Amino acid sequence: MSKYIDLSILEIHALYKEKKLTPTMLLDEVFERIEKEKDLNCFITICKEEAYSDAKRLEQEEVRGLLWGIPIAIKDNIVTKNIRTTCASKMLEHFLPIYDATVIEKIKKEGLLIVGKMNMDEFAMGSTSETSYFGPPKNPWNLSFITGGSSGGSAACVAARITPLALGSDTGGSIRQPASYTGIVGMKPTYGRVSRYGLIAFASSLDQIGPMTRTVYENALLLNVIAGHDEKDLTSSTEPVEDFTAFIGKDVQHLKIGIPSYLVSDVVSDEVRCVFENVVSLLKENGNTVELVDISYLEQAVSLYQVIAMGEASSNLARFDGIRYGYRTDNANSVDELYEKTRSEGFGEEVKRRIMVGSSLLSSSKAKIYYDKALSIRDDMRSSFLQAFEKYDLLIAPTTTTKAYSLGQGLDDPLKSFMDDVLVIPANMAGLPALNLPAGFHEQLPIGIQIIGAPFKEATMYQLASFLEEKLALDLEGGVHHDEI
Amino acid sequence: MEKLSVEEVKHIAHLARIAVTEEEIEKYRVSLAKLFEMIDQIHLIEGYNDDMMFSPCEEEAILRKDEIGDMLKEDEVLLNAPHKNGKFIEVPVMLNE
Amino acid sequence: MTKYEATIGIEVHVEVKSKSKFFSQAENRYGKSANSSCTVVDLGYPGTLPTVNSEVIQQGIRAAHLLHCSITKKMHFDRKNYFYPDNPKNYQITQNRTPIGTNGYVEIELNSVKKPIYIEEIHLEEDTCKSAHKGRFSLLDFNRAGVPLIEIVSKPCMHTQEEAVLYLEKLRETLFYGDISDCKIEEGSMRCDANVSIAKEGSNHLGTKCEIKNIGSIRNVGIAIQKEIERQTALLEKGETFQEQTRRFDDKLGDTVLMRVKETGNDYRYFPEPDIPFVILTEEQIKKAIETLPMGSDERRKLYLERGIHPKNVEKLLSNRTLSDYLNTYQDSDLDFVIASNLLLGDISSYLNRNFMELNDTKLTKEKFSDLISKISKGELSNQNAKDILEDVLEKELSVDEIMKERNIQNITDSSFVEKLISKVIMENEESVSDYHQGKDRAIKYLMGQVMKEAKGSINPKVANEKLIEMLNRK
Repeated sequence: MSKYIDLSILEIHALYKEKKLTPTMLLDEVFERIEKEKDLNCFITICKEEAYSDAKRLEQEEVRGLLWGIPIAIKDNIVTKNIRTTCASKMLEHFLPIYDATVIEKIKKEGLLIVGKMNMDEFAMGSTSETSYFGPPKNPWNLSFITGGSSGGSAACVAARITPLALGSDTGGSIRQPASYTGIVGMKPTYGRVSRYGLIAFASSLDQIGPMTRTVYENALLLNVIAGHDEKDLTSSTEPVEDFTAFIGKDVQHLKIGIPSYLVSDVVSDEVRCVFENVVSLLKENGNTVELVDISYLEQAVSLYQVIAMGEASSNLARFDGIRYGYRTDNANSVDELYEKTRSEGFGEEVKRRIMVGSSLLSSSKAKIYYDKALSIRDDMRSSFLQAFEKYDLLIAPTTTTKAYSLGQGLDDPLKSFMDDVLVIPANMAGLPALNLPAGFHEQLPIGIQIIGAPFKEATMYQLASFLEEKLALDLEGGVHHDEI
Repeated sequence: MEKLSVEEVKHIAHLARIAVTEEEIEKYRVSLAKLFEMIDQIHLIEGYNDDMMFSPCEEEAILRKDEIGDMLKEDEVLLNAPHKNGKFIEVPVMLNE
Repeated sequence: MTKYEATIGIEVHVEVKSKSKFFSQAENRYGKSANSSCTVVDLGYPGTLPTVNSEVIQQGIRAAHLLHCSITKKMHFDRKNYFYPDNPKNYQITQNRTPIGTNGYVEIELNSVKKPIYIEEIHLEEDTCKSAHKGRFSLLDFNRAGVPLIEIVSKPCMHTQEEAVLYLEKLRETLFYGDISDCKIEEGSMRCDANVSIAKEGSNHLGTKCEIKNIGSIRNVGIAIQKEIERQTALLEKGETFQEQTRRFDDKLGDTVLMRVKETGNDYRYFPEPDIPFVILTEEQIKKAIETLPMGSDERRKLYLERGIHPKNVEKLLSNRTLSDYLNTYQDSDLDFVIASNLLLGDISSYLNRNFMELNDTKLTKEKFSDLISKISKGELSNQNAKDILEDVLEKELSVDEIMKERNIQNITDSSFVEKLISKVIMENEESVSDYHQGKDRAIKYLMGQVMKEAKGSINPKVANEKLIEMLNRK
């Protein structure tokens, strides 16, 4: 017998309304699974007490929206008042935020239940979640494989059906890439669609919070809750928030779809190409136009991304100095020693490397030829994408170049984490919405494809994604091995 | 690929305020050089425009009204500070002031 | 002997007046209890983002206007990255590439010659937190962190300490009267750094620059610059070269002392602040900012001189904003500004000082003041009478007429009272009267003296003088 937690959110909602199920009952199942799936190492902090007390409070009131009483997991770089938020770093191991991120305020208001803070790459820097101070999370499909990253804990949690929903963040693919490796739906919304207030910044002009879920529909439901303008984030858009589920279930047959040619070039492995081509055939069979399209500078997107992401990161992470919060070295006799030792002891390797490179790129002798140049080319790249959207409704591409690989495989290569993200980085560079949809398997590991939209076209992306989801009808329960029968 | 010099690594580490041991310096001479080598691929690009896109946000900043909002209580200010002294957050003495 | 010429550039930071801080909603106020005026944004908490206070932008527009700068209509902010414990995020949000104002000037007057001092640019930025030193530690107070600042960078176009002092005085007066800042150097709401270099007169090259930081008063800026010119000249005369350095002014020593030799160019790693999109200024917004400026110092000067106030008193008024503002409330009336300013600067000021009071702590209403001044100007109240009743005017809730009645002060233009006095004097001084009729000028002065003596100063001398002549000629 399957558990309540495995039901769709619509079914759970109906049971809540009929008073046949309570949030507390659902939480019992969630915490039972958390216990069973300890080996996944996907939680950094489990919020059992808080979740039950929130559930008790909900039970005093009437059932509200569809996400009322639904358990959710939060990536540990989104600050939660009075729940420690670590960014998977020794630097913030004991950090207790004194405010809630805007997305947290929103999900609390909607009645979602936060069950824990999820493992990730340290400060979201990495592509496997192995840079976590708390050790790597494991891929539910195969425990010796990576989850991808940086939102690896959130991805593993949903893939293992511990919670139906999770929040991740995506700076250079950190939602979509692990979603692809673990067989779940992950959306990086348009830059500005979701408030970044309370998201511990990695690269401010690239970061975006987004939903990670079992299905397309549930993904859209969660985006409905977290999207919208926020006065506290000047980069959050005033674009009206439509109902993102509006087009779900509508037929898809006259779409013009582009494939950025570099994203299907020889950087992509055969296993991924095979899955992707299947999707392309499916689309064509159903009366859609699918063509290759050239987008400028995608070949150099990773290098450009490195300049911008590391440059911004070096400045964003300067605040971790052991003074106002966070780790502080024990033996500092001067201000400089305080900084250098605190940061040397508090940050892990990947983070230190990126901060150093970023500091160097912004220095006066280099800023013009690296940073300023990267921003200019970025502007051209965005224009090129926007031009493509004049002709195409949506773009599609593979999400990852390969399927998930085994833990420890890329650890010695400082470039590996960037190369893993070569297909997902362009959307961040251009500020575009992009979504991962599970599209097939290779050797029992899931592989996803990416749908990229014009700014604020998330609803259309969900329409295509749900259409494919239905046609592909994949069995994504392979990541579930709870032995609960 | 040419390794970075010891001085270059030390300079960069100091810019970032990260202490490095001799051993680490040797490691960074290679790993940072690899990153720089990859980054240098942007020099392959010529003939771009001059508009800098420092944010994908296309809207202008919405300015806030000049009003006082909620402020932190003193104990909240000090809550996460590793070293405090009375109402203050404490650091080693600041020279050069 | 070689002549040397100094080149001086000055950077001034003023704290901007506003209710809340620049990038957070914490209160912007000096003197609050430590760490009681901050938010998570001011502490640079992870995940926080800046918001932009519209009033600070308005103040920036006003300052740019007052300092005759071109206003930048599309601005962004930049991050200035440097590690220091008083810098909560270890970067400061400032304007590096698009300062709100560029290419301005203020006009100074040196030995009656007017001269513009050019301003390179003015930009908006946030203040750092305050630190106090206690033994081996420094203690941080974040109340000041995020307070809005305007930095005004002059061109290196001054050559003497006199010019520098006049420039700073003019700048302070302008920003103070523009309500941009209260410009209190002692509270740190105005801070001055001076760059001084010396070169052979007529040389195209500037000499090695030394920066003198955070000087505690405008007077001391003058002294510090003079000392620095002397120090550098002496070194050059000895044929010595020296490095760029940062110095500070030591009050007790009355001289500059070395803080540090400059590292090879501080690397601030400026880049555009990605958390704040472009700020676009509309014509309407600029117009509104400028329209809401209070009357400036130069306009006040012009007004007061036009209304006949002595230049010396004009300057005195300008150094007392409260009195100047008070006087300006009568700008549209025909109040005698000469008498009014004399009274305000004289007896009223000394009363206020004596009692540690402000003008609005007294019972002086607008009507009462204008009644008082008009009575003096019409001759209905002598200066002596005015002096006598001033305390009552300031302390009692009575009208001037009621006070005069209470104090039994005659209406000094009451002709029967004046005539009675004069008749008495004429009767008692027959000799002088006949002297007068024989055309001896001195006689009238003597007689007038007698009249005033008799009246104990309680009559209007002008009225009395006219009456005296009239009555003498009647004879």
